[in-house]
Amino acid sequence: MPLDTLYLAETPEGIALALRPAGLVARGLAWMIDLAIRLGLLVAASIVLRALGGFGGALLLITYFALEWGYPVVFELSKSGATPGKRIMGLQVVMDSGLPVTPGASIVRNLLRTADFLPFLYAFGAATLLLRADFKRLGDLAAGTLVVYSESVTLHGALPPADPMPPARTLTQTEQAAVVAWAGRAPRLTPARFEELAELADSIAPAPQGGATAPRLLGVAHWLLGHRGAPR
Amino acid sequence: MTPRQFEETRAPQWQELEALLEKAENTSGPAGKRWDGARLAALYRATCEDLALAEARSYPIHLTGRLQALTQRAHRQIYRRQGWGLRRAGRLVLIDFPQAVRAQRGYLLLALALFALPLLAVGWASWRDPGFILHLMDARQVQQFDLMYGPGDAGIGRERAADTDWQMFGYYVMHNIGIGFQTFAAGLFAGVGSAFFLVFNGLFLGAVAGYLIARGYAENFLSFVVTHGAFELTAIVLAGAAGLRLGRAFLAPGRLTRLQALRAAAAEAIVVVYGVVLFLLVAAAIEAFWSSARWITPQVKYGVGAACWLLVAAYLLWQGRPARGGDDAR
Repeated sequence: MPLDTLYLAETPEGIALALRPAGLVARGLAWMIDLAIRLGLLVAASIVLRALGGFGGALLLITYFALEWGYPVVFELSKSGATPGKRIMGLQVVMDSGLPVTPGASIVRNLLRTADFLPFLYAFGAATLLLRADFKRLGDLAAGTLVVYSESVTLHGALPPADPMPPARTLTQTEQAAVVAWAGRAPRLTPARFEELAELADSIAPAPQGGATAPRLLGVAHWLLGHRGAPR
Repeated sequence: MTPRQFEETRAPQWQELEALLEKAENTSGPAGKRWDGARLAALYRATCEDLALAEARSYPIHLTGRLQALTQRAHRQIYRRQGWGLRRAGRLVLIDFPQAVRAQRGYLLLALALFALPLLAVGWASWRDPGFILHLMDARQVQQFDLMYGPGDAGIGRERAADTDWQMFGYYVMHNIGIGFQTFAAGLFAGVGSAFFLVFNGLFLGAVAGYLIARGYAENFLSFVVTHGAFELTAIVLAGAAGLRLGRAFLAPGRLTRLQALRAAAAEAIVVVYGVVLFLLVAAAIEAFWSSARWITPQVKYGVGAACWLLVAAYLLWQGRPARGGDDAR
């Protein structure tokens, strides 16, 4: 069973897009930011409209209505596909095919917030969200939408330079991939941890007595990528 | 082919795609003027192929990661939404909404029964015995209704200033559309929520109507509700029907999974909800500016109200039917 929560959406071209659904905390914070923004706008509107008397009162009610129901839809259909709160949290609403959210789906998911809100403070929404690997609330389920992180994280960088070196034995494809993936994580690991991981693969690049395995295994990684001869 | 060779031969294409995407993301307007849409599509397909190869051959993750990010961006550009279109809105009003209502005839009848039967039963009961209303609401609320529809000065339909009309419009829009949305959304819980709101509103309205008629305020009350009721009551029943559609999908998904059934039902029901919003906006405007105007005699209001009911019924029954003898109207 995979440990991460990647959601794979297949495109008509036959490739799988990996989306990263956002969990309860990120979405809760985004909701709170949005709530603060909406309240702020409402307070500002009430100060301005107070001056207009009864007609202003009408506009205020309509403003309240628009902020309650229109705010999320308008922002989700904008280019960024996110309300300001979601944008600050780096989130985005997409269809579960990975495409930008459609007007119909956005309206469905925001109307059904009413159902998610029941019985109090989004309890149903939070419960369904926590029970599912793709973190959908009821509105998302009905509309077929997902809230995902808009930016992908890069855990693997370019390989640090080393002398290419053939492996000491034949490697399966999985082993090759593991060695190269290990090498790609060099910028994110401490040298000690990097060496510790390398020693697990001692049989691939046996180090001379007392020597470090990491530089030799790094050489194997370069060799696997196709480097031969002198380092770049 | 080693990963290095692969990257070296393909990188120019990826860079071209990246540059093209940069352009496409930062300029609005249709493709073809400022950037080459056909080229973007071709590059996208080529990159998809590269990604599939790279994944099949377990190439290093930084390589597949880069390709994944690139294809994802291109995918969003290529399949992006093509505008809102006023024509679609027009089509919605003229064809899709009435058709969707007729397609959900069964739910509509059920919703109507859930709303109208309690209304008639309680209306009859509180007409026979005006004290019956106290089973449903407390005395203070009843007094307010007396004040509103009674002969006194404080009643509804007093000659009020224009800004109060606007205020009431705002209030009706917010309050009524909120109720409409609730009635629809609560259907998600196996339809129980929608049924509850329908019955509840039916009971409430029936009790008030029966009570006021028994007290002899029939003209004030009926001339007030008849016009906007055509839109408002219809809208509540329609919202309830859409909610029941959702609930049915949950209870009896048929050969689909519950989730698939729910999604299909939501896609159908949302068309009706668009119409509900439209109806409620019309109702709010009528309620604020027409129903409460006292300078209009009740006879005129009855006439206009009857016309509105006929209009709504005709719209829902006949609008958007295919022309006789022609192909499907679509």
